[in-house]
Amino acid sequence: MSTLAAARARRSPWRVTRRVLLRKPGRVIGLAIIVFFTLMAIAGPMLYPGQLAVDPDNIYASPSGAHWLGTDFAGSDVLQEVIVGARYVLLTAAISALVTAALGTTIGLVAGYHRGFTDSSLMRVTDFVLTIPGFPLLVVLSTIWNFGRPLEMGLVLGVTGWGGVARAVRSQTLSLRERGFLEAARGLGLSNTHIIVRELLPNIAPYVAMNLLLSVIGFIGAEVALFFLGVVPFTSSNWGVMLNEAVFAGGAINSPQALSYLLAPLVCILLLTLGIVLFLDAIDELFNPRLRERS
Amino acid sequence: MKGFLRRLLMKLIAGLVMVWVVATFTFVLVHSLPGNPGDIEYDRLIMQGTPPEIAQAKAAVVAGFTSHEPLLQQYFGYLGQLLHGNLGVSISYSGVPVADVIASAAPWTVLPVLSGLVVSFIIGVAGGVIAAVKRSTRWGGLLTLSGSLMAGIPSFVLALLLAFLFHTLWQILPYGDTSDVTLTPGFNGPYIGSVITHAVLPVSTYALLTYGGWLLTMKSSVVSVLGDDFILAAELRGISPVTRMRYIARNAILPLFTVLAISVGYMFGGSVLIEDIFDYPGLGNLLLHSIGRRDYPLMGGAFLLITVAIILANILAELLYSVIDPRVRRA
Repeated sequence: MSTLAAARARRSPWRVTRRVLLRKPGRVIGLAIIVFFTLMAIAGPMLYPGQLAVDPDNIYASPSGAHWLGTDFAGSDVLQEVIVGARYVLLTAAISALVTAALGTTIGLVAGYHRGFTDSSLMRVTDFVLTIPGFPLLVVLSTIWNFGRPLEMGLVLGVTGWGGVARAVRSQTLSLRERGFLEAARGLGLSNTHIIVRELLPNIAPYVAMNLLLSVIGFIGAEVALFFLGVVPFTSSNWGVMLNEAVFAGGAINSPQALSYLLAPLVCILLLTLGIVLFLDAIDELFNPRLRERS
Repeated sequence: MKGFLRRLLMKLIAGLVMVWVVATFTFVLVHSLPGNPGDIEYDRLIMQGTPPEIAQAKAAVVAGFTSHEPLLQQYFGYLGQLLHGNLGVSISYSGVPVADVIASAAPWTVLPVLSGLVVSFIIGVAGGVIAAVKRSTRWGGLLTLSGSLMAGIPSFVLALLLAFLFHTLWQILPYGDTSDVTLTPGFNGPYIGSVITHAVLPVSTYALLTYGGWLLTMKSSVVSVLGDDFILAAELRGISPVTRMRYIARNAILPLFTVLAISVGYMFGGSVLIEDIFDYPGLGNLLLHSIGRRDYPLMGGAFLLITVAIILANILAELLYSVIDPRVRRA
């Protein structure tokens, strides 16, 4: 009995996760970066409630003790602005990830499981969504609809960005479909809904998670880019608005005066990308037992 | 061969259907847009300080370019004109055909994108092979990480960083526009030199953006081919390493053709941001400009052309794939 309990404990998901995470230091760093920015998004606006302080006598100040990252065109503290702006960026990314996960998983599962006509018509739609150039489409859409608020922005990004996840889910479903346990489930006469939801879904969840993290990188880039270009009206400050003002109003490319104002949001986006990329490596190994056993 | 031709035909038909859907979509979109181009032009002229009478007269000219026929008639007219390669008349370029405006902008997108593609292909594939062969060493790991990171970095972040480093900080590369404005365009040394130095930053941005995709795909592809039985069999039969490398390369390069389609799409899509940052007069910049001026025909044309470029790249990638991989051809 005790050996059995020990074996179960050794295989408990938390232990495996910890071991996989600790194998390479990069993974811990990746997770730490993601947690750091998530905390920033949750707590940031609470730390600095209300409007940011404006100081006309102190615009474009260099980093100093009072303003760690200097000040912007209105004399506001860049560090505060970055921290407050994180919420919009991460909240929108989370909403779009939810929409993408729901749409992509459903369409990929149904297409892969039913095959035939359902599959080919759903995949036609997926191909179409994948082919349409996402960013130009968003720019064009911004002319008919001001989707600046987090919920709307997340919806738009999610609805235009589920193609990759659907593809991945479908191909995974196609290969799982031929496995013994699914044949058994079909042989037992279980309903399609039961098979898809209870048998297939748990098995493809890891692939959804991985592809979702990859899409999230793209979503963050796209939303910030829309604000950077200034095609979406500014409702609140976020990293994209900061970049827009640094480059187009502050002339950061031609004069170094808005230097820290330009670099702060850029570094944040770079760090977040790095964090997700590093963490993906851990997820890959967690859900891919072949990789795990080899090392 | 017959099967190949049928495949080609099917792909072309599918592509045409897609172009039609996109054209319809652009038409619907353009006609549901708020803001009348005449009013926008009027506001713009007033903002510039033009006297109201003159502004009104000029805006009336712009409004004259917008059609007042019923929507359905406009739609079929639009499709018919499209078949003749006629995309309508630009409003903000006061009456110049959209096709001409696009034709003069297209080289500034296509050339940098293609050169970027060639550069990133060479570096990415070479890097991928090294990353695959040395995958257990620290350098191999770093190479792979560089690929993942580059594939993830948003295009404008990279463009801004490059512009900032090479122009603002180190001041070794020019920035903005396609050449030095003081030079006369033509086939002379200083002008061509200036065009090349101005293109370095956009081209490097395109190259770095897609480098990751090539590297990661090539790496995983080489790794999986290295483990294939036929490579082991070839080794056991004493086939020379050079020939073996040819087998590996020919098999490993296959998945790269899907990356080609993705890369071209990514570059054309990303051109909106990159051309805006580098102030480069290509298609992406045209799209943004047309949106700012509510120039619907131009916007529709630019968006349609970007989409067609991506559809063509997809068809090309699949055809190349079937030419190179006999297994796909027969299936």
